[in-house]
Amino acid sequence: MAPSNPLANWERVGDRFYRKVRVYDAVFGEEVELENYIVAGAPYGGAIALYRDESRPYRYLDAQTTKSSVDIYSSSGKLINQINWEYGAIRGLGWSDKEELLIVSEDGTVRRYFGLHGDFTSFSLGNGAEEYGVRACRFWTSGFVALLSNNQLVAVSNYDEPRPKQLAPCPEGEVSSWSLIPPAYTLSRSVEVLLAVDKTVYLVDPTDAEDKVLQDGPFKHIVVSPTGRFVALFTGEGKVWVVSSDFQNKVSEYNSKARTPPRSVDWCGDDAVILAWEDEIHLVGPNGAACRQVAQKIDLSFAPYYYDGRIHVVPEFDGVRLITNDSYEFLHSVADVTEEIFRLGSTSPASVLLDSVDQLEKKSPRADENIQRIRSSLPEAVDTCVKAAGHELDIYWQKRLLKAASFGKSVLELYNSDEFVEMTEKLRVLKAVRDYQIGLPMSYDQYMRLTPERLIERLVNRHEYMLAIRISEYLRIAADKIYVHWASQKVKVSTADDDAVCKLIVQRLDGKPGISFELIAQAAYDEGRTHLATHLLNHEPRGGKQVPLLLNMEEDELALDKAIASGDDDLVYYVLLHLKGKLPLASFFRMINNRPMASALIESSAREGDMELLKDLYYQDDRPIDGSNVLFSEALNEDELQRKTEKLQLASRLLADSKDATVVLQQKLVLEASQLLKVQDALDKDLADRSEFLGLSLNETVFRLVRAGYGKRAQKIQSEFKMPEKTYWWLRLRALVAKRDWGELEEIGKNKKSPIGWEPFYNEILGAGNTKLASIFVPKCTNLPVADRVEMWVKCGMIVKAGEEAVKAKDVNTLELLRARASGPAVAEIDRLINHLRPRG
Amino acid sequence: MAPISGSDAEYFRDKARRDLLALLEGVRGKKNLVISQDLAGPIGLFVKFSVLQEYGVDRVFLLENANVDSTQRNIIFLVHGEKPHMVRRVAEQIKRLQHNGNVEHEFSVLWVPRRTLVSDKILEEEGIIGDVNIAELPLYFMPLEDDVLSLELEDSFSDLYLHKDPGCIFLAAKALMDIQQRYGYFPRIIGKGDNARRLADLLLRMRKELDAEERSGLTDLPFRGLLPSADTESLIIIDREVDFGSVLLTQLTYEGLIDEMVGIRHNQADIDTSIVGAAAAPQNQGSSSKAPPQPTPKQGLKRKIQLDSSDQLFNQLRDANFAIVGDILNKVARRLESDYESRHTAKTTTELREFVNKLPAFQLEHQSLRIHTNLAEEIMRQTRSDIFRKLLEVQQNNAAGADPTYQHDAIEELIARDIPLKNILRLLCLESCMSGGLRPRDLEHFKKQVIQAYGHQHILTFNALEKMELLQPRSSATAMLLSTGGAQTGTKTNYSFLRKNLQLVIEEVSEKDPEDIAYVYSGFAPLSVRLIQCVLQKPYILSLLRGGGSATATQASSTQASTASPGWLGFEDVVKSARGATFSLVQKGDDKAVRARQTISGNHTAKTVYVFFLGGITFTEIAAMRFIAQQEAGRRRIVLCTTSMINGDRMMEAAIQKGSFAKIAA
Repeated sequence: MAPSNPLANWERVGDRFYRKVRVYDAVFGEEVELENYIVAGAPYGGAIALYRDESRPYRYLDAQTTKSSVDIYSSSGKLINQINWEYGAIRGLGWSDKEELLIVSEDGTVRRYFGLHGDFTSFSLGNGAEEYGVRACRFWTSGFVALLSNNQLVAVSNYDEPRPKQLAPCPEGEVSSWSLIPPAYTLSRSVEVLLAVDKTVYLVDPTDAEDKVLQDGPFKHIVVSPTGRFVALFTGEGKVWVVSSDFQNKVSEYNSKARTPPRSVDWCGDDAVILAWEDEIHLVGPNGAACRQVAQKIDLSFAPYYYDGRIHVVPEFDGVRLITNDSYEFLHSVADVTEEIFRLGSTSPASVLLDSVDQLEKKSPRADENIQRIRSSLPEAVDTCVKAAGHELDIYWQKRLLKAASFGKSVLELYNSDEFVEMTEKLRVLKAVRDYQIGLPMSYDQYMRLTPERLIERLVNRHEYMLAIRISEYLRIAADKIYVHWASQKVKVSTADDDAVCKLIVQRLDGKPGISFELIAQAAYDEGRTHLATHLLNHEPRGGKQVPLLLNMEEDELALDKAIASGDDDLVYYVLLHLKGKLPLASFFRMINNRPMASALIESSAREGDMELLKDLYYQDDRPIDGSNVLFSEALNEDELQRKTEKLQLASRLLADSKDATVVLQQKLVLEASQLLKVQDALDKDLADRSEFLGLSLNETVFRLVRAGYGKRAQKIQSEFKMPEKTYWWLRLRALVAKRDWGELEEIGKNKKSPIGWEPFYNEILGAGNTKLASIFVPKCTNLPVADRVEMWVKCGMIVKAGEEAVKAKDVNTLELLRARASGPAVAEIDRLINHLRPRG
Repeated sequence: MAPISGSDAEYFRDKARRDLLALLEGVRGKKNLVISQDLAGPIGLFVKFSVLQEYGVDRVFLLENANVDSTQRNIIFLVHGEKPHMVRRVAEQIKRLQHNGNVEHEFSVLWVPRRTLVSDKILEEEGIIGDVNIAELPLYFMPLEDDVLSLELEDSFSDLYLHKDPGCIFLAAKALMDIQQRYGYFPRIIGKGDNARRLADLLLRMRKELDAEERSGLTDLPFRGLLPSADTESLIIIDREVDFGSVLLTQLTYEGLIDEMVGIRHNQADIDTSIVGAAAAPQNQGSSSKAPPQPTPKQGLKRKIQLDSSDQLFNQLRDANFAIVGDILNKVARRLESDYESRHTAKTTTELREFVNKLPAFQLEHQSLRIHTNLAEEIMRQTRSDIFRKLLEVQQNNAAGADPTYQHDAIEELIARDIPLKNILRLLCLESCMSGGLRPRDLEHFKKQVIQAYGHQHILTFNALEKMELLQPRSSATAMLLSTGGAQTGTKTNYSFLRKNLQLVIEEVSEKDPEDIAYVYSGFAPLSVRLIQCVLQKPYILSLLRGGGSATATQASSTQASTASPGWLGFEDVVKSARGATFSLVQKGDDKAVRARQTISGNHTAKTVYVFFLGGITFTEIAAMRFIAQQEAGRRRIVLCTTSMINGDRMMEAAIQKGSFAKIAA
């Protein structure tokens, strides 16, 4: 193949070069009269959607042509799919960067076609779209804004969970043109819209519509540059203004001298504007000066291109696609590296390096001279060549540049070849997908933005499985999705019987990692092949994933088991909620009662609010204690005594028939509870005007009675409820101490015996600070060792008594210690005691 | 593979903070934040309130208070989405705000730790799913300390053992998968207990699922997770129900006692200002992570004290037996004083400047000293009380295996003296655990007593305790089990057998220079940690059984042995006497790859052992594990993981019926 001149098609505009590259020839056949169509292209060289422009007359060929449809073509003009359209007028046709086609009809219905083959989801815009009707739509990579005929704007910023939202209300008036700034490029991080109304422009965001106060409207076109930094306005007088997107600086102005406004105005990259008429386009730019933040007026140049037929301009972020019936071209600014190498008379090191390869092939010594000359900047030269190869679309020049780079790095001692190797890989991939049979003519930058994974997705959507797998292997990317897509497609189109299809798929995918059989099964189920779906599902390794599909397939029991096996309580509960709504209660219980996890979940959630369900469950399961407990806790929550007692009776009745010892005890306790309530109620009525005793525990009741001086009643209750004697004594002791009823305590102290011993009396009374009374109990603690009693006396401040205690035990040492702690007359007393013990010693 | 820098704790702290802030940033402008109660504390572990403010948070509300107002258009809910009733509560509040506000709100819900199907379904049923932005905040492990990771699921104990709801096992598995994805698979999973087994099975299952997972978008990951880790030695899972007994004992380390008496939540304790004095302003600088101001309605006279390793002094004290805390405090006080005195000896100006530079540190230390001295005094006062001593005596006798019936009089007396119910129940449960249940007659007797003393609502409490198998009548079957001392896999942990065969009781413990983990309970080694020692420190345990105590000699030999006999090897028979499944699983990877990596990474000397306490861990167990970690330092790193912090009181609270007949009538 003869090398084309790398400078061919270069066009100088201002201080930059632009290049128009013809990518495909003979794109559309005769039968497609492109001038009659509205064209929308998916970003990054993706598919093109055509829809016949209803406003234009067209030739009547046959009945077929009158049928309305949206046709999806590859960039090389291969028909991928035809979507029959019978949903009324189309007011918006656009793509997301996942290559999903969005079609907005006049009534506000949005259909999102994914996978290029007619699968779609739909949602409605709402917000008045139905009444007023959609007028037009503008799209960005992940959302769009619809303009209703009442000038209201509705934005959708996420297609997975679409939430149409109204932007701020806009001013009345004729909208002559409009455009949006994608959220990624706005300060508010939400989409903003520029509306040219009458003579001015409004900036509309979700909260506010701001008048930019311009005078020169109405603007026929208003377009925002890909990075949202500049806005191009086409004025009524045929001028193009480029202003910064905050409308503060006018960057440049250009007079098209055209009387008819162009059909479209688009940005070519971020620095040139394309005006397109029917068969003529003007390239206006650049505003490089503005990019460098110098707001000086620069001389604008423009380059006109002329065509034979109607031309469609599809903007990309780094250029524009120019589509006519017989060609597909890409117009973009020449990359700096490319310019550096190929510009006429360039003497840059990279350019010299490229030249050396020529010399080398001619076996000329100049090759070496060249290298020596640029020795110092050789690494950069190699880098430049590698980069330029990426931007080059012509294979011949790609090879030359890589060769130059390779030659250059062979001379270098140390050079990191990673980028070189990666570039060769990328170029191989790009070459493969740019082929007209595939028809994905993306530039290097577009590929980088798209990412290899998404490129593979696009290939899969075009059913180019082979190439997709090859590329994923080549780039070491997981290929599972490709296989899954292939298998799902197989399931859809295959006419073979279920077992054969299942066998084929399983065989083919055997040993491939990460295959989601659930998705394939879902596809089979969607096709109505339930049997096949069940079969396929058995191969799904992830239990959790099987569950939703199984539920859809009404395999309830299986779904529940799989959910339980996954251990994910959320999933189990989800299934249970589903089943509870669907099955009769009895069979629902039957299903859960031999599955402990399921019934545990139902129990604990029912406890949070569905007591009746709980009662039914326990009844069904024959768990009387649990059942009575539910009633018991209801009794706790009741307000009135009457209701409480009723519930308690019910609770006890549930337990009545059993002979089991625990149940019998339980019943006894429940009855005791209601008996206690009754007694307390009586106490409240007799002793207090208000409710004082009701609800207390038995011990507390007795305690309060004693403290309030109703000893008799306390005693009666003690015997009535068979309260142990010890407990009663303790309660009485504590209550009397709390009441400071020393007399009564002293009285008790006259008893011979206490079931709790006398030490507690001593302790409690001492704790209350009555040492005198406490001391009375010391001699009664006969079961304690002497030393303890001595200490008890001391604590009461009765050293002498302590001494006497020690004397009884004949313990001189303790006495010595006591003397040290004694004071006043006690000292003498202790001495006497010591002497009493000592004389014989 | 390059070694990953930073400890797990740091990693999780960073990740949690980044995730949360990114989500907050996603909502433009000022916003009000509504947090559920159980998240308010944990959030404070990794992000300060001031940072939240920087990210546009205006005010913080508690979900439970249901008082969020319309001061801001943006409202963010940050709520645990696992429990349906929480979801409903969120839905209610959103609807309330939608109805009565004149502001058109923008709602966002951040589900922690994941968006569940059930939450979607509920919001759908409530008809608001279209009005809220839903996202998830994958908060699993929260770092309490550098060596302690907790899921901070406060309900995990009652969920697991009372409601038998295994949700937290699933979350635990998810959290551990996080670690595995970071380092590679645990080469070995060792565990004890049925729930532990379930967790291990889930881990195996999730690994299989991960292998099968679509890996698109993770271009650099797919080949990494498939291998057993080179930095990790093993994962040990201990199910709490294997050893309820230890938890029921009163913890006797400093931190443990603070937890018993005041309660520590998310590294913070609310302490009466009469004890520690009112909050001084400069206090905040010292503690590294101050929680967002708790929007509790009434602070009362409590002051929040940060208890973590950022406080040097506390770090020294926390794991020591309380008996020696006084000594340490004295020593520190004296040192601090001499440090202060050094200003007199400073002669040159540089020396002086040096002193002045150190001053803030001194002041900080001084402050912390004052707090801890006061706190220790308060604890001392309580431990000296008659009731505390009685409780401890009963506990220790039970732990030591004395005939429990001798303690019954004491328990009865305590009931009559109306001490807090929790303490009584702990004693009863302890007896039930340690001796395989109470005699039916005794149980009936105590039931009646407690119910009469504390109210009939506790009929439900006892039912709950029985359901949790904490308090049971001794059945003939278990009696048989006890008498034979047999080693069949029991449905109960046989403490009397294990006490003998694992030397749980050590008579002579030095609190000052402990030689055995038994120091944490002044003579009783928590079974849970002993079991872990059976895996990690076999020679020590063997020598303990043989020599009956002298422990120090064995340190050296423990190096080789543990690798030679992995898992439970050598102790299978003994371990069987503890409740539930016993297992030791090896996770194999591709042999060639493993070997290749071994040659690349060389022989890492210190590998990490993850120890997961499913159902909760006590501070004493942490102290005991740190004691082991210290002995193993250089050979292994030990990271503790748990579902939540637990102590005996919290265990009882799970069962105790909160309602009472007096409640409404009053």
